[in-house]
Amino acid sequence: MSRRNTIAIARIVEETPTIRTFYFDYDLQAKPGQFIMLTDLANGEKPFSISECESDQFGVTIKKLGKFTSNLFEKQAGDLLSFRGAYGSSFSLKGNNILLTGGGYATPPLYYLCKELLRKGAQVTVVNGARTRDDLVFCERFENLGLEYKKITDAGCFGRAGTSVDIARELLSNNDYDMVYVSGPELMMKAMRELLQSYPGLNYEFLFERYMKCAIGICGNCTMDPLGIRLCVEGPVLAGHQVEKLTEFGEYHRNAAGKKEYFK
Amino acid sequence: MKGKISLSTEFLGKKTKSPLVLPAGIMGMTWSGMRYVIENGCGIITSKSLTLESRSGHPGPVVAEFAGGLLNCMGLCNPGIIDGLAEINDFKKLMPEIPVIASVFATTAEDFAELSRYVNDSKSDFLELNLSCPNVMDEFGLPLAGSKEQVTDIVKLVKKVSKIPVIAKLSPNVTNLSEIAVTAEAAGADALCMINTLGPGMLVDIDLVKPVLSNRTGGVSGVCVKPIALRAVYESYSRVTIPIIGTGGIASGSDAVEMLMSGASLVGVGSAVYAGGIEVFNIINQGIAEYLKKHNYTNIGQIPRLEKLHEQA
Ligand SMILES: Cc1cc2nc3c(=O)[nH]c(=O)nc-3n(C[C@H](O)[C@H](O)[C@H](O)COP(=O)(O)OP(=O)(O)OC[C@H]3O[C@@H](n4cnc5c(N)ncnc54)[C@H](O)[C@@H]3O)c2cc1C
Ligand SMILES: Cc1cc2nc3c(=O)[nH]c(=O)nc-3n(C[C@H](O)[C@H](O)[C@H](O)COP(=O)(O)O)c2cc1C
Ligand code: FES
Repeated sequence: MSRRNTIAIARIVEETPTIRTFYFDYDLQAKPGQFIMLTDLANGEKPFSISECESDQFGVTIKKLGKFTSNLFEKQAGDLLSFRGAYGSSFSLKGNNILLTGGGYATPPLYYLCKELLRKGAQVTVVNGARTRDDLVFCERFENLGLEYKKITDAGCFGRAGTSVDIARELLSNNDYDMVYVSGPELMMKAMRELLQSYPGLNYEFLFERYMKCAIGICGNCTMDPLGIRLCVEGPVLAGHQVEKLTEFGEYHRNAAGKKEYFK
Repeated sequence: MKGKISLSTEFLGKKTKSPLVLPAGIMGMTWSGMRYVIENGCGIITSKSLTLESRSGHPGPVVAEFAGGLLNCMGLCNPGIIDGLAEINDFKKLMPEIPVIASVFATTAEDFAELSRYVNDSKSDFLELNLSCPNVMDEFGLPLAGSKEQVTDIVKLVKKVSKIPVIAKLSPNVTNLSEIAVTAEAAGADALCMINTLGPGMLVDIDLVKPVLSNRTGGVSGVCVKPIALRAVYESYSRVTIPIIGTGGIASGSDAVEMLMSGASLVGVGSAVYAGGIEVFNIINQGIAEYLKKHNYTNIGQIPRLEKLHEQA
């Protein structure tokens, strides 16, 4: 059984006007790729990936979107929040020469992964992309790790305009990676899968999002067609051999009522 | 010479490889989720309870874990009868031999009848009337299964409309459950399913000083409800002749045997999917098989039943 914990927000870091990292002084012992269910017991409960995790603290990096996240952005350090988890599968940490590709608010969980990969001595290259400067986060943190780091926005805020997939394409053709980890918007990951299909022997893992309610594998809202695996238990991190079989990937997901919604 | 042990059985004329049933509201939202459960050893699927219109359910937290099981206030989230039956049909295309129970929820006999017309046009094998959801009382009032008149009206009307066998799902939150069981049988129900979640119950966050569930209260399920489920099934079994799907707190092979012995024809396994993982169906199947072997039985029909209540008197 995983315990619910209610503790004060230790500190809040404003990454951009619409993205903040909330830190808690708690030894969560989460693995890279896992998530928590976070709530104030007033405005709902939502899943968020762990972006940093040490023995004395962990953080979740959150984009302000709708009701729940807007209410969260009203909170101050010292306010109480309740969380359960960490839940779900994690990145395997396999590989020695590794490419990480992230997009928008989904990049931060790759930061925790990156630190663990460096800890075990792997060589890591990071590509961080976003639509605009306001969605591009963790640049300084990655730069401080002293690895090959590339950032890009659709709008071209840093010179070149394009996506993280554009850069990944170039890096893949010029390097000999043995593992690729990806976390980003579904359509960006779909483009990554198409790209990775031209590297048949190369292993990869993706971090997915689906609408979650129970997060403990019973409600069935987060299953992925056609396998029926639950994204909250068997995911959110899925390996390439699983990703290859997913027919709903990049096509549709199911909303809070379990109704299919197609990606545009 | 000993025969080969088999867990297969028949329920209202349909064959199943295992007596285990996925109850309504557990993993039965999508066709692929149904497939995943069957591939892991379950015998029969019940869909999420479907309503005429889609429902997003309550905001979170909608589940809370505690030592004895689970508390939930999902709030009957479902994609609506049309999309929900499409999920069932997609599943039946993939696994036509697996029986599927379409669960439906409404508040009036007319709406139940309307839902059953939709189900008639689907590939579902059975229709289950959820007369007993404790999580939507603010919206819909007390569970219908508390009233003999309502149970009679609903079951009678649906039986006129439905082309497939009708199962009445009953609530444990009444003082006269076996009487309601008798009422449902008299109204024409082909089978019963019991129990729905117990309660409602509540858990409190002592730091935020608030109930944990968004809807304040929720239905209790999991290991702590097993004794109540066994008693409910046994008392009803003593008084009706139609088959019963015994559900509530079943988590092991011996639990399942207890349920069969208490009068159930099939055994529902819901919350144990959380506590024991998706492997739990295979583990329970194995446990039942071991019990059969220990007693030199070859099929579950040989498991003895408790002496019926009135027979003892
Ligand atoms: C495994 C996982 C990890 C995630 N990690 C992060 C993260 O690190 N940082 C971050 O900012 N966001 C993350 N999200 C997304 C985050 O849960 C949503 O942004 C949040 O729920 C939005 O809630 P809202 O009420 O503010 O917005 P809404 O207006 O309710 O929704 C905005 C968007 O969020 C999605 N969403 C809403 N509720 C849920 C839910 N219960 N489960 C999944 N998606 C939902 C909706 O489909 C919609 O696309 C993650 C989601 C999942 C499934
Ligand atoms: C999360 C959850 C959702 C449920 N949803 C429904 C439902 O939609 N319709 C219904 O008839 N029962 C529903 N139930 C009740 C179960 O079908 C079952 O009767 C009950 O949980 C007892 O069995 P268990 O202890 O094995 O879980 C739900 C139970 C849970 C835990
Ligand atoms: S969120 Fe309920 S099964 Fe995954």
